[in-house]
Amino acid sequence: MNSRVVAAIARKDIVDAIRNRYLLVALTTPLFVAILFRILLPGIGSLNTMTLVVDDPGDSRLVTQLRASPQINLIKAASAEGLPNEVENSEAVAGLAVPANFNADVAAGKQPEVTVYVNNKKSSIQQAVLKQMLEQRVLALVEPIPAKLSWIDVGREPGAQPQAGFNLNTMLFPLLLLITFGMSGALVVPLLLVEEKEKRTLDFLLTSPASLAEIVTGKALTGVVYSALIAGVLLAINHKLVGNWPLTLVTLLFGLSLVVAIGLFMGSLFQNTMQVNTWASMVLMLLLAPSFPTPGLPAALETASRLIPTYYFVEALKLSLAGTATAKLWGLLAVVLGCTVLALFAATWGLRRQLN
Amino acid sequence: MNAIEVTGLSRSFKNVQAVDDISFAVAAGEIFGFLGHNGAGKTTSIRMLTGQLRPTAGRARVAGCDVVIERDRLKPLIGVVSENQNLYERMSGRENLAFAARLYGTGNRRIDEALDQVGLSDRAGDKIQHYSNGMKQRLLIARALLHQPQIIFLDEPTSGLDPVVGRDIRRLVLELSRQGVTVFLTTHYMEEADQLCGRVAFISEGRIVALDTPDHLKVAHGKKALEVKLDDGQTLSIALDDQDAGERLEKLVKSGQIRTLHSAEATLEEVFIQITGRRLSE
Repeated sequence: MNSRVVAAIARKDIVDAIRNRYLLVALTTPLFVAILFRILLPGIGSLNTMTLVVDDPGDSRLVTQLRASPQINLIKAASAEGLPNEVENSEAVAGLAVPANFNADVAAGKQPEVTVYVNNKKSSIQQAVLKQMLEQRVLALVEPIPAKLSWIDVGREPGAQPQAGFNLNTMLFPLLLLITFGMSGALVVPLLLVEEKEKRTLDFLLTSPASLAEIVTGKALTGVVYSALIAGVLLAINHKLVGNWPLTLVTLLFGLSLVVAIGLFMGSLFQNTMQVNTWASMVLMLLLAPSFPTPGLPAALETASRLIPTYYFVEALKLSLAGTATAKLWGLLAVVLGCTVLALFAATWGLRRQLN
Repeated sequence: MNAIEVTGLSRSFKNVQAVDDISFAVAAGEIFGFLGHNGAGKTTSIRMLTGQLRPTAGRARVAGCDVVIERDRLKPLIGVVSENQNLYERMSGRENLAFAARLYGTGNRRIDEALDQVGLSDRAGDKIQHYSNGMKQRLLIARALLHQPQIIFLDEPTSGLDPVVGRDIRRLVLELSRQGVTVFLTTHYMEEADQLCGRVAFISEGRIVALDTPDHLKVAHGKKALEVKLDDGQTLSIALDDQDAGERLEKLVKSGQIRTLHSAEATLEEVFIQITGRRLSE
């Protein structure tokens, strides 16, 4: 593999993609979606200040930690019994009922139960950020997980969906990252390859010192660079949601490799831009499907969703964002890697078959 | 030494025999014409000779490299001008050449030389989408010459171009040949082949049906006769094999009635039709 040739192809594509309005829109769509979420979902811009009502008779380490955070404003509850009402009738996002023997139970590894009364009058984003923040604080206390958080909705309108289970990690952020990667996999990478076929510039590349492997690698590198750039911006905007940076970055790298490989496979199948455009939206929806919130999904569909390779990436991403490096995470990443290798093999086979 | 040596080269696609057992050799510095109607097997042959397509049988050596097993060594030694104007439309002429220079590992110095060689220096900064067909064709040639190849493959280089640009490209081809570059040329224009090529091969239905110099082909397949136009508008044909041909011609010259006098040899187009039974443009 000649790195000069790969770099030349990637450099050409990176510059050329900016000039291609269609590709530029595809690449920047996730950023627009992220901005749209911020505009449409109130509260995301004011996540820096969060009010909590706490009942903490034992002066727990958890509340001490929360008090030390400049982002959190703590109000002491008048009484343990009145905590739900106090939350509902205040500006607080939630109320925390911490048992008196919390510190001792944590030290003894007993997992004391902290009840969180979530104020459903606050925005979903605020509630989700609260959940993320609390989970991280609890995890930060000691390993293994020292306390169980029990989430209860208060002030919920009759018939409204429960909000306490909503978590930004499990929906919005993975969705945005997956849109970024999905655009790359379903549109950008296939178009980079298909345009070379359609305009017959692939013939030029194949008579130049570039080998098929170098051409494919150059295209993949372009997809990786753009996706990483956009994902980086999204990560920077939402940095508070990242529980474990190294794990998250490793997971993103695996996910990125997967979608780029899928993109190359699509690029090997299709001959012209119209075919890519026709199929891209379907493939994109399929790739994104595992990141949609689907409470109460029928078992058959739940099983079917496991046939989509991005399911394993999304599940791994959720674990990485929550900061949990479990055997399950590595298992999921292994599946992602397997799917990537398979897609790369299929793409190379498809291209070789067409060219010979 | 031969620049191209082809022995029994064949290529089939499923049930279609695109190229069928062709053999020929092209000397270094020669301009070799490869002529055939659409679908005759010209492009498939070029794709095999440039390492883009594997032959199903036979072998070929180009610039001393086996086109199947020495593809990587072959590529820097050849330049290819495809019949499709396969340039990057959103990039400028200079950017297209700069990309090729990075692929071939040649310096930027060659970009200016190549642009100058094809007369595009003053338009190098323009986007390709603003280039005329003639400019695109000249840039394609510049790109193929950038790394100073030993052999250049030109697939229909003057097709669809105005006569002035066509003439410029023909001059360039002759200049390349003078510099020692071997030129493998396919064209629909028989006059062009006649004018440029040292030898031509006719390919029909995947097989080479004739291979010789244009002159030999024309003599072998034409009439040995003179066509005489007189001042009164009459046209006479004098067969040179006739016993009294010399006497008749002498009389006409002495009478001072001759307006024009031409040999009636066949054109290359006529030879092609005679051999293949089809016009080249079909």
